[in-house]
Parts: sequence; structure tokens; C-alpha cells
Amino acid sequence: MIEIGVPIIPFFGIDIVSFTIDFVIAYALILAVSLTLNLEAGYAGVPNFGKVLFVAGGAAVAGAVTGRVAVLLLKINTSGDYNNHIAQVINSANLSLGENFPLSIEILLLGVVLGAMIGGILGLVFSVVAGRENLREDYLGMLLLASAQFFQIFLRSYEPFIGGTQGILVPDVFAWASPCPLGQICTSFHGIVLVPSLLALTGLKVRDVAVLLTVVTFCGLVYLYSEGVARSPLGRTLRAIRDDEVASKALGKNDLAVRRNVIIIASAISGMAGALITFYSSSVGPDTWTRVTWTFYPWLVIIIGGAANNLGVGVGAFVFVLLMRGIDQVKFRFSSFIPFDVNWLEYLAFASLLILFLFFRHEGIVPEKPSKTLSESEIAAIMNSRITRRGDSVKGLMFSSYPIEPQTDASKSDKEQASQDEAS
Amino acid sequence: MVKIEIVGVFLAVILFLLISNLSDPNVRSATVYGSLFGLMALGLTLTYITTKVPNFAYGSFVTIGMYTSYAMYRLNYKLLGYTMTPYLSAPISFLIGALVSVTMYLAVLRSLARRGSSLVALMIATLAIDIGFVGIFGIFSDYLFNAYRLNDSKSFPQLFNADFSILGVPGIVFAAPLLLTVLSLGLLVLLTWTKLGVAMRAAVENPKLAQVLGINVELMYMIAWFLAGGFAASSGSYYILSQRGSVDEGSNLIVGIFAASVLGGLASIYGAILGGVIIGASEILITTFLAQTKIQVTTQFLTLPISFSIGGSEVIGYQKGIPLLIMIATLLVFPRGLVSIDPRKVVRLLRRLPPEMQSRVKGIWRLSSRIFVRFFHR
Repeated sequence: MIEIGVPIIPFFGIDIVSFTIDFVIAYALILAVSLTLNLEAGYAGVPNFGKVLFVAGGAAVAGAVTGRVAVLLLKINTSGDYNNHIAQVINSANLSLGENFPLSIEILLLGVVLGAMIGGILGLVFSVVAGRENLREDYLGMLLLASAQFFQIFLRSYEPFIGGTQGILVPDVFAWASPCPLGQICTSFHGIVLVPSLLALTGLKVRDVAVLLTVVTFCGLVYLYSEGVARSPLGRTLRAIRDDEVASKALGKNDLAVRRNVIIIASAISGMAGALITFYSSSVGPDTWTRVTWTFYPWLVIIIGGAANNLGVGVGAFVFVLLMRGIDQVKFRFSSFIPFDVNWLEYLAFASLLILFLFFRHEGIVPEKPSKTLSESEIAAIMNSRITRRGDSVKGLMFSSYPIEPQTDASKSDKEQASQDEAS
Repeated sequence: MVKIEIVGVFLAVILFLLISNLSDPNVRSATVYGSLFGLMALGLTLTYITTKVPNFAYGSFVTIGMYTSYAMYRLNYKLLGYTMTPYLSAPISFLIGALVSVTMYLAVLRSLARRGSSLVALMIATLAIDIGFVGIFGIFSDYLFNAYRLNDSKSFPQLFNADFSILGVPGIVFAAPLLLTVLSLGLLVLLTWTKLGVAMRAAVENPKLAQVLGINVELMYMIAWFLAGGFAASSGSYYILSQRGSVDEGSNLIVGIFAASVLGGLASIYGAILGGVIIGASEILITTFLAQTKIQVTTQFLTLPISFSIGGSEVIGYQKGIPLLIMIATLLVFPRGLVSIDPRKVVRLLRRLPPEMQSRVKGIWRLSSRIFVRFFHR
């Protein structure tokens, strides 16, 4: 095996390449989850205080099922007890998966689809419970917060699922991108030869690049989707329901059905994000899924960036991840002379940041713009073009508020006649 | 409106049933749990009816009480060799919790509400405060560990040694219902027979009209938050005498507290006490019932044999699922809570059911009474 000196570009003692890769992955994941929360809380006005439930649901199911499916497909002997032999089982599964690119992708897709299904089902259940007419924001918030807390307790206690408090390993679906194990002669980089090997020559961690591309693609799709929803008639309906429920009901909008659909879609996407998080860390355990990590932080992102505004959420997520990673890089230098765990300070700092934002800039860095409608002159132009096409008279279609001045021949002649009458 | 007499009779019956059978350790812990949950739900409802914001940070006030009593007990024992029981430190934690609660109300919630923040923004603010509290408890427990070498400061078992005992029964079993009775009766007296209490009720019912009558509505709300924080913290002090405490114990308790408040109807303080006692007692009793009996279900689904079992000792981990289920059932069946149910209407409804449904209802009643009998008529 050829030894290649890995070029490290230092920047204040930080390896800038791996820092950037980590940063982008974290950014894409938190952005995807925050966008779904923005869809619910920002556009539809459904405050989801149990986001972690849906993300964790997708992650746990993807982690628990894909490993077993992989073991079944690869015919690995588990001696009847999957969870207790997890380390050896997953190790041999990874070796086989590394040489089987199509199967890896299939398992990745399986996990993501499972995550979406579980998220969607959970969303359906909670929207049915919450969709009752007399359930308001406060009831929904309490229900979701309590359920998310119970789900974490459930994950901790139920061992057959994801191994209780310890968590379980998940087969590495990006194993084809990892360089071969040390001490072996690498004639081919597992499975795919060319691209990973070329990238590996530059000193990049190829697995991380593969994860990055997957996650960024996913996040980009989510962004495009939520931007599409925001600009569509559905988005306007959502904002109308959020701003004035009674008025939108009077206009014939079924607010319960629309809100239910939004919760289901957003939860399904959160489940997918959860599955991707599982595959990225190639393990899943209950302690990742706390109220802080996936309920509070997405809310923080939305408040920083600006609700009901996808660009704002993007900015908010950037600021948040920058702060988070910045603190991560710096905090261990303080740990020697602070008599407590530095992580607690992070909680305090982010909590105060959110409250400060609520006080001094509750609309966020990028405030929500009023939805663009056509200007009055444009409306007048459209009205005119219709009128001329149909050849109707203007008086029948007159809206008193629009300054429509049709330039048809008929009206001209009317005016001329009128002026002639006055003159005479 | 709430029928205080009915709620009171219910409460008295439940507490009497619990206390009348103290030889069973599960009934003992159910008594303590139920009483303390009643107190916590009472406090949460007090904050809810004044500001109309569900206080997500409420669990942390319970943790404030836990850590105040824990630190006082351990530090006094370690430094002076003197046992300061949580009964003695409960008033101190009442004060601390109450002051922190009022500070939170004045500094964050009222200021935000004055700036015209929406309900959701206020809810996020309470969530942020909860996260901040967890940070503070973490710092405090690390400080206790580093400065005084208290090894179990992050997560500690119940303080058996700090309790007294009557006839072999730990004192907390009597003290917790007593605390609930004294505090709720005190609140009842305050609200019905004093001028301050009448003013408070007026401020809650119709703030604008109360202001016209010269009542200081802000002061009334502050008193409600003061009492709420105090109730939570003092129940936290008592809690660690029968259950383990930790940095995030309050966060876990919030499942039961919310369930109790919703069961009680969220708008009625007496309903909240009743809901709390029911939730707390059923959480322990149903869990232990399931843990002692194993129900094996074996059926066939398209030639696939399916068998699963409910029960067994592993059920104890999912104890918190029971309040959650009760909460969901409440939201689906009677969202306005227990106090919205008229018992006469229920009887009339049952009489009108077709005979087969009546027998099914009787079956459910028999099953629930079997759970009951298991604990009370051995």
C-alpha cells in the first residue's frame, strides 16, 4: 500500500477540510429538519413541540430494520440473537457491503423509505388526536412534548428494538467509499474503483464526501420542495389559515384537512432526515434524541432565521451551526479552569440566545415578506385584455377600486359623443 | 362550573382507599406519587389559567425543589454531621421555587406578552427556559461533585435515611397526602373566603372587568405564579424521599404533570388535583399490576403464528406510558377534562346503550375493579 502524506490545511489549529465537511453535513441535516418545522410552524401555524419524536422515529426504525435486512440478505450468521452479537455481525456485514455497491444503495433507500413511512404514520396519528376541533395550539404542544419525552424513555427501556441505553450499530451503507482496511493490499477500492481512489489520493475522507453529497442532495430537494409549497396556492392557503382561521373557513378552506396533510408530510420528511442521520453516524442510540437536540435546536434555527421564510431558515441554520461548531472548537480550551462540564454552558447560551431573539428581533434575521400579488396596474392590464378579447362592455365588469381605463373604440366614441354633447 | 364538592368527595375516597392499605409497598408509593402529582398539576394549572401559556419549564421547578433539599441534606450531613430532612428544607425550596417562578414570569413572559408576542412565541420561551434550567442544574451538580465530592450529585437514589417512620411505614406516605390536603385546603380557603382570593378569581375570570373594579391584575397573576413555583418546588423536595432524583427527572415528570392537568380539564384547579391523584396512583398501580401478571396472546394471522405478551417485570420501564395513554384518551373522549363530565349524564347514557354494549361496559368495569381489588382486598 502506498503511503500518501495527507495534506492538512491548518487554520488556527483547525483542520479546515474536515471541518468544512463536518460543517456542511451538520448544516444540511439541521436545515432539512428545520425546513419541515418551518412548514408546520411557520406556514401552517401548527406548533410542533415534539419534532424529536418524528426524527427519532425514522432514525430508530431505519437503524433497527436495515441492519436485520442486511444480515438476512447477506446470509450472515447471527446465532439467533442479533443485538448481542451486533459488533461481529455488523463488522462482517460492512465488509460485504463495501464490495456490493448496489446493495448498499438499496439498503440506504430502504432505510429512508422506512423512515418516511414511520414519520408519516406518527404524523397521521398525532394529527388525528390533535385534529379535533377543540384542540388548540397549547393542547397540541403539550401532547407532542409529552409524547416525545415518552418516546425517548421507550427507546431507553426497550432493548430488542435498538438495544436499550447502549444503542446499536447500523451497517455502514457508505462502506464502499471507505479506503480498504490497513495492512491489506488494495488493488481496487471496494467496489467502485476510480472515483474514491482518486479522491483518496488528495487526502479526503471519501466516506465523508459520499455522505456529504447524499445529505446535501436530500437537503436541496427538501428546500426546493418547501419553496415550491410556499409559492404555490397551497402555501397561500396555509398562510391564510394561519393568519385568520375563521376567514379562511368562510372562504371554503378545510383547515383541519390542510393542517393534517402538512403535519404528515413534514413528519415524513423528518423521518427521512432521521434515517440519514442514522446512516451518517452508522449507529443509533436513545441519547441523541433529546428535547434539546431535535426539538429546541430546530426552533432556535427558525427563530434566528425568521419563520415562514425558507431563505431565513437557511440563514438561521448557518448561524446556528457556525455557533455550535465554533463553541465545539473552543470549549475544550476552557475546560481546564472551569469547575464544571462546559456542555452545560452551551445549553445556557443557546437558551438565552433564543430569548434575546424573541425580545429584540422576533421576526428573525430575514423577516417574512408579504406574499407578492400582482400590482394594480398589472391587474388592470389583465382585466383590459380579457375585456377586449371578449368584446364586452366595461360597465358590467367594473370593480370600483381598480382604476380601469379601457381604451376600446366603443368607449372612445362614447367619450367623444359626450364631449360633443357638452360642446353643443 | 366545577363542582368542588364532587371533586372533594372523589379525592377523599381515593386517598382513603390508598391510605387504608399501607401494608403493600406499591400502594405506599402510589399514595406518595398521587399526592405529589396532584400538587404539581395544581401548580401548572394555576399558571395556565392566569397566562394561558402551557409552561414547558414547569418540570424544572420540581427539579429546583429536589436539588435544594438534596444539597441541604447532603452538605449538612457531610460538613456538620447533622441530618436536615427534606421536610425542614421544603419551605426553603418553596420560597426559592416561588421566587424563581415569579422572576421568570416578570422577566420573560410578561415582558414578551407586553411586546405583543404570540402564544407560540411564549411557548418557545418557556421551552428555552427549561433548556436553560437543565444547564443550570448540570452546572450545580458538577459544582457539588467537584467542590464537595458528592459522587451521586447527577443522579441520586431516594433519601431513605432522611425520613422518619411510623409503625414501620415511611413517614413520607403520611406526609405527602397531608401536604396536598393542607395546601389545597389552604388554597380553597384563600380563594373563597378572603378578599385577595376573590380578587384573584375575578382577575382570572375577566381581567378587564377586574381592572375596572380596581383590582391589580398583575399582582394577582404574580401571586398565582408565586404559588405555582412554590407548589412545584416543595413537591420536588418531598419527591426525593420516595423516588430517585436526577438532573432530568423533572423533564421526565412533565409527561405525568401535563397528563394530570389535561385530565383535570386545564382550566380547573380542583380538577387538576383530582387528575394528578388519579394519574399518579394509576401510573404505579397499573404498572405493578402489569408487572405481576403476564398476559400471553397467541393468534394466527394468515397462517403466520403471532404471539406477543404484555406484562412481566420489564413493564416497569414504560411506567410513563400510562399517563400518556390516559392523556390521549382524555383528548379523544372528553377534551374538556374530568370536570366536564356530568355523572347523571353518564348513567343515562349507559342505560340507553344496547344490551350487548352494556355487557361489554360491564366487562371493562369488572377488569378495572379486578385491578383495584388486587390491591385493596387481599
